[in-house]
Amino acid sequence: MAKKLGLKQRYGLLTRGLDWETSYQPMDKVFPEATFEGIKIKDWDKWQDPFRLTMDAYWKFQSEKERKLYAVLDSFAQNNGQLSISDVRYLNAVKLFITGVSPLEYQAHRGFAHAGRQLPGVGPRIAAQMQSLDELRHAQTQIHTISHYNKFFDGMHEFPHMHDRVWYLSVPKSFFDDARTAGPFEFMIAIGFAFEYVLTNLLFVPFMSGAAYNGDMATVTFGFSAQSDESRHMTLGIEVIKFLLEQHPDNLPIVQKWVDKWFWRGYKVLGLVAMMMDYMLPKKVMSWKEAWEIYFEQAGGALFEDLARYGLKPPKYHEQATADAEHLSHQNWSIFYNYTQAAAFHTWLPEDDEMAWLSEKYPNTFDKYYRPRFEQWRQMEKDGNRFYNNALPQLCQTCQIPMAYTEPGDPTTICFRESEYKGDKYHFCSDGCKDIFDNEPEKFSQSWLPVHQIFQGNCGGADLGDVLKWYNMNVGADNMDQNVSPEQALWDKWQAERSRVAAE
Amino acid sequence: MTFQLTIEPLGETIEVEERQTILDACLRQGIWLPHACGHGLCGTCKVEVLEGEVDHGDASSFALMDFERDEGKALACCCTLEEDVTIEAEIDEDEDAENIPVRDFTGTVREIERLSQDILGVWLDLDGDPIHFQAGQYINLTVPGIEGPRAFSIATSPADGTRIELHIRKVEGGKATTWIHENLEVGQKLCFAGPYGQFFTRKSRGGTKIFIGGGSGLSSPKSMVLDLLENGWSDPVWLFQGARGLKDLYYRDLFAGLAAKYENFHYIPALSAPNDGDDWTGETGFVHQAVERVFDGQFEGHTAYLCGPPPMIEAAIRTLMKGRLFEEGIFTEKFLTAGDEDKIKSPVFRRI
Repeated sequence: MAKKLGLKQRYGLLTRGLDWETSYQPMDKVFPEATFEGIKIKDWDKWQDPFRLTMDAYWKFQSEKERKLYAVLDSFAQNNGQLSISDVRYLNAVKLFITGVSPLEYQAHRGFAHAGRQLPGVGPRIAAQMQSLDELRHAQTQIHTISHYNKFFDGMHEFPHMHDRVWYLSVPKSFFDDARTAGPFEFMIAIGFAFEYVLTNLLFVPFMSGAAYNGDMATVTFGFSAQSDESRHMTLGIEVIKFLLEQHPDNLPIVQKWVDKWFWRGYKVLGLVAMMMDYMLPKKVMSWKEAWEIYFEQAGGALFEDLARYGLKPPKYHEQATADAEHLSHQNWSIFYNYTQAAAFHTWLPEDDEMAWLSEKYPNTFDKYYRPRFEQWRQMEKDGNRFYNNALPQLCQTCQIPMAYTEPGDPTTICFRESEYKGDKYHFCSDGCKDIFDNEPEKFSQSWLPVHQIFQGNCGGADLGDVLKWYNMNVGADNMDQNVSPEQALWDKWQAERSRVAAE
Repeated sequence: MTFQLTIEPLGETIEVEERQTILDACLRQGIWLPHACGHGLCGTCKVEVLEGEVDHGDASSFALMDFERDEGKALACCCTLEEDVTIEAEIDEDEDAENIPVRDFTGTVREIERLSQDILGVWLDLDGDPIHFQAGQYINLTVPGIEGPRAFSIATSPADGTRIELHIRKVEGGKATTWIHENLEVGQKLCFAGPYGQFFTRKSRGGTKIFIGGGSGLSSPKSMVLDLLENGWSDPVWLFQGARGLKDLYYRDLFAGLAAKYENFHYIPALSAPNDGDDWTGETGFVHQAVERVFDGQFEGHTAYLCGPPPMIEAAIRTLMKGRLFEEGIFTEKFLTAGDEDKIKSPVFRRI
């Protein structure tokens, strides 16, 4: 009897010949983006496909997973699952997710489709193709999961439109625009390695555990359904960086530069998650600082210790990001409190028990620098003088976040950096963002900065009302403080009805 | 209670405790299985159960779907055994592995010799059948009065399985090695099981072979080098031996003799801290530095075998990778003692 084929051999037979040499057109015309980044590949066959999944198996798995997910979503809807969440405030995290993160899944779908088309090796092409499909499915299933909340609550109705236009959503959007307009190898390091491997646990896990802690079973189930894809994506990220570093010594400095850049870019986007974890979840999972310690300092530390064998150094400014963990969420939430009139979710000041939690989690910084600020704003609210910032903020040319971050080691001074390029001045929130610009000024000098665009008259008009209209924002419902929002009133009414029914 | 777990395509059989997961048991035995989340959510560690009953534990119904359970799939990270089980895992078959079944042996101590100031050479004559093993593999020796066996590599060539040689370094505060150093006598009977381990010569990889041994880590390389030379291996074979001073350098005459006899064999001892009285003119410094100098930092296309304490292995791996020899060409046997901590590992490397 012939020996049973091993999984590797079976996969080899199923995929053989997919990397044929083209004859009607030269290979360098078929793969025009394969060399301009300077990456040298000697042998594509050295690529180890970590999953060896074939397309027919892929469809079978995914359709079964989605059958299960949609069964849960149906029952969630039929049982009025929105009533089981911890508190109506939780939905603001969902709004941030559908407007800020789900469109990134779609961007990732397009990015991996492009990388899969442009990379000449069969292994990465198949892996990128599957990841592209995964990302499209994730975008769809997230939208379907969250659509139930959209029936009752505000701020989700125009998520793709808002993603393209609203000021703070340009932070995640421009991050992915940057990756997708890079070459295929940079995209794979940017998204495959830096985002999907190094930083994914700081994005995906906080949102999914936040959902679990706050009774959002629909989103939790989506999380489970995506997790088996995410592990494949993480493995792909590791394979990409190993492969590039092993193929040619000239690749190391190029890859190092990308790792430095995309770590810092990703870290800046994750500031939104930091704020979500520390301020927006009614039931908190862990602090941003704790998450950073576990997922970056420990897990990332072990990763970069192993990658040091290749001569790769930990990303530049990672010590800065670790020091910033004491400040990041507080400074970000303050920005949104300042601009609640222009945000598509609600804001509030932390209550006493939340402030106590923040003091405990941030013993070095919260009471000293941030509690006094929140108490001052609380007093102003009480006095009928709620603080609104009516000036448009200066944005960082690279990360597009308002320039509200403080100097390293000096939390009472705002950090400003600038560079000159072709006679114009450009402004940055940090050394990391300035370095990125200085490396690619042609690209970043063209950034679509929301504030500049408003001033140039490209965003619907000159006053706030015009701009919010251009955002398709439902003014008075989507924006402003939680306590005056229609959805808070709706929630309070539901709660009152429930207690009345319970009392009868 | 324990069960037997056989892992295909390796053909290796290991013991698994009642509530121990397949993944935990395999990793502890040095068998690498693909894995990621470690708690049943991602499905990376999916294996096929060919025979026997398993309990799926906390495997997520998304990571291991019903139809897969029906097809006999399981997640190694949560699955425990109900009886003896055979699985097929997604690991590459190693064409150089002979998959020799582990057996129990008894042997009589025939000779004890002090090889260096802290390493004892022990020769055992086997009662009954000789042991069949691959050069580089180890045995688990039961030390009288000490709980749990201790692992020692076989230093003799596999050509003669009737007598094996072990190198036993006295571990500071180590119960078993202290007992052997102080109490073991010629004529005593010892029990052991073997052969174990995935550290053996990959003969299918032709080209230059570089062996690096430090401390009592000379045992496996000695067996492997003897095996290659005895069987007429014609590609270059390099042995680098690291020691502190001259009195720690053992078997120098043996290897110098072999180097004189075999044109393709080269022996480079390196002393990290030679004494003034050593009158040392050879390589000075750590063994990985000697390797780097001799090969001018270029290792592409070679195969390296590293055997010894963890810091020596790590330094050697970095030197080899800097010279463009990567995981597929590097094989290691780490000599861990109870004092060595378990560090968090990233999934970048599987074996090294």
